[in-house]
Amino acid sequence: MSASNVSTDGVSAMASFPSRRLNLWAEKIWRIAGGVNVRTKILGMVLALTTMLGLAVTWQVRAVMTHVFADELENRGVSVASDLASRSIDPILLNDTYALHQLLRETVLNHPDALYAFVLNSRGEVLAHTFGDEGFPAALLNSQAIEASYNMHGAIRHWVYNSNEGVVHEMIAPIMDGKAGVVRLGLTEKRLQAVIDAVTGQMLLTTLAVAMAGIVAAMILTWLLTRPILDLVRTTQAVGRGDLQARAPHWAEDEIGTLANAFNQMVAELEASQRAIAEKEQARHMLLKKLITAQEEERKRIARELHDGVGQVLTSLMVGIRTLQRSDVAQQEERFDELCAIAGETLEQVRTLSRELRPSLLDDLGLAAALERYASEFARAYPGVQVDLHCALPSRLPTPTETALYRIVQEAMTNAARHSKATVISVLIGQRNGSVQAIVEDNGVGFDVDAVRRRQSSVGIFGMSERAELLGGTLDIESSSDGTTVYAEIPL
Amino acid sequence: MKRSPRPRTLFIVGWLIVGWLLLAATGLSGCSPGLTTHAAPFIDLQERTPLPVAAPAEVAHLRMGVAAILSPQGTMTSYSALAEYLSRKLGRPVDLVQRRTYAEFNELVERGEVELAFICTNSYVVGAEKFGMELLLAPEIGGESVYYSQLIVPANSPAQTMADLRGKVFAFTDPMSFTGHIYPTYLVQQLGETPETFFRRTFYTYSHDRAIEAVANGVADGAAVDSLVLDYALQREPGMSERLRIIHKSEAFGIPPVVVPPTLPPRQKALLRELLLTMHEEAEGQIVLRNLGVDRFIEIEDAAYDGVRRLVQATGIR
Repeated sequence: MSASNVSTDGVSAMASFPSRRLNLWAEKIWRIAGGVNVRTKILGMVLALTTMLGLAVTWQVRAVMTHVFADELENRGVSVASDLASRSIDPILLNDTYALHQLLRETVLNHPDALYAFVLNSRGEVLAHTFGDEGFPAALLNSQAIEASYNMHGAIRHWVYNSNEGVVHEMIAPIMDGKAGVVRLGLTEKRLQAVIDAVTGQMLLTTLAVAMAGIVAAMILTWLLTRPILDLVRTTQAVGRGDLQARAPHWAEDEIGTLANAFNQMVAELEASQRAIAEKEQARHMLLKKLITAQEEERKRIARELHDGVGQVLTSLMVGIRTLQRSDVAQQEERFDELCAIAGETLEQVRTLSRELRPSLLDDLGLAAALERYASEFARAYPGVQVDLHCALPSRLPTPTETALYRIVQEAMTNAARHSKATVISVLIGQRNGSVQAIVEDNGVGFDVDAVRRRQSSVGIFGMSERAELLGGTLDIESSSDGTTVYAEIPL
Repeated sequence: MKRSPRPRTLFIVGWLIVGWLLLAATGLSGCSPGLTTHAAPFIDLQERTPLPVAAPAEVAHLRMGVAAILSPQGTMTSYSALAEYLSRKLGRPVDLVQRRTYAEFNELVERGEVELAFICTNSYVVGAEKFGMELLLAPEIGGESVYYSQLIVPANSPAQTMADLRGKVFAFTDPMSFTGHIYPTYLVQQLGETPETFFRRTFYTYSHDRAIEAVANGVADGAAVDSLVLDYALQREPGMSERLRIIHKSEAFGIPPVVVPPTLPPRQKALLRELLLTMHEEAEGQIVLRNLGVDRFIEIEDAAYDGVRRLVQATGIR
């Protein structure tokens, strides 16, 4: 399905010939070439190349051989005929017909291409010939055909005719300038033609053999080429089905090998990021659970605070007011001051509770003021820890950023004070390059950051990271036995 | 993914193979008509007929024989003009007849198969004695009708006389030749030897011009040849004189004659005699005579060949 889409696109991309017919042909050829698999393409290339080469060479050799042999036959005929002419002078003049006959017979016997030879005297009578007892082909004595088509080689005439013995080259050599007659020598092309045919056949057979070998070689080549590709396809399909463990086998250090390597690397990275996503998902899940628990804990604490603190005080206040009704005036005054003090204490308790839940300073005066307030409260809560706070912010930050930084610093300081046995905590807030940084450093004993992160046990650390990342920022923790540094950066 | 590639692959491969076979077939048949491909006439070599037997000539040919004093080709060159001349004069064709040896030729004359013959002196001496060969005329050259046997050696040979040719290769012309065989044999006999013992090896060339060639080319260390043939050869081939040297010239002998068989009718003999005797009187005849190296033909007596007879008897060669 996808293949046909590709081929249609290919056609539209290729269809750039001016003629419509050419376009149709190009389309047809591309359909066939693009529609077959790589194996067929390579086979086709090998077959076409070997066949074309073989046939072209065969054709060329045949043409050259034909030309050379024709020339050679002609030259040989000329030399044999002129030799015959000079050697037949004496037998003719001495009327030695037998010697003449022997001369012709031996000449024809000794020359593989000679078909016949005969001698005519000056009156055109046949003196001797090699046709044997069955008579003489009278058609040869008709000189009209010769006159129509001969060419000269010195004194020797050469003409060609077809016969039932194939093509015959006849040499006509005058004897003593024709005074003693002429000798005519017939040469056949049969032998040379057979040689040419044999060579041609041999070459075609060789071409066929080479083509066969080419097919085998092409098959091996195709197998070598397509095996890694097919493996890659299978691996891709496996990955597509979600098997991230699947890896393409690495066959060779070529382009396909590089592709397989790149593919494997991609799958490995995909697997890693998939695992990271899963881990994060798990951490979020835990955070959510802890968040819900923490919310319940917080509610419980507030409820207890209200019940034990404010509720107790308000109860005693109510009891005090009841007793105030029944007491005398002098006592009343004394009880009244007492009750006022209890109410004031209650108010203070409610205020503290409210501030713990959400410092109103953060909304009203900003991060710097809120942190300073927090630092002073922190110093009261942990008298053994010295807090250095440097907050250099030129202006108010967006509320989400201020809240996030406040909570991050709060968490970092609480952790330092609770777990690291730190004696000094320094907090540095600054603004630089379009982002705001918060650095919380302590001189405590430190902890194994990676282990804590892996265990996903620390909601606090995960919460700090989440707050920073929600606003597009980052949170890094470096820890050693000399202390811990929490570094948060949030873009503005 | 729906279509399977396999049938398509087979289809394409199939077409490739079919195409290959087609190409191969055209490649094989493309040039098969032959090495040369122009349209040529057809001749049936299987259709044989007996050769026509030459019809008996309406006019009898005059058969003029020339003995193998010269090679067949040299004879043809020299005597064909004479044959044509006679043919024109007689009004009938003249055939030039040659034979390889003097002996064969004498048989031709004896059987009357030639009507006019140019032969060697010894052939005449033998023929006249054996079957009455008749003298017709003799050529005259430079005012006389004599010739010589001349002993030749290659130009670089140190030989000065026949005695120096001892143990050498010697070329005879014909067993019946006077100048080419009988005379050198006579010279060797004068030295008290026979050719078989005197020379390392001898061979026959069956013509004087070939014997000259054999010496000039160093095939033979010496040869005795007809002075007329040698003069003619030296005259025609100027380079020849540099390649050989004459070391001996015999006494004068009667020139090789023109003879007729004894059976020739007297009227025809008279006609031929008249024709040859008057040849030099007309321009056409003069050209033919010059071609033969002859001034004219003259009457000659049988006694002119007594010198030859004497020498032949002396050597004992027949």
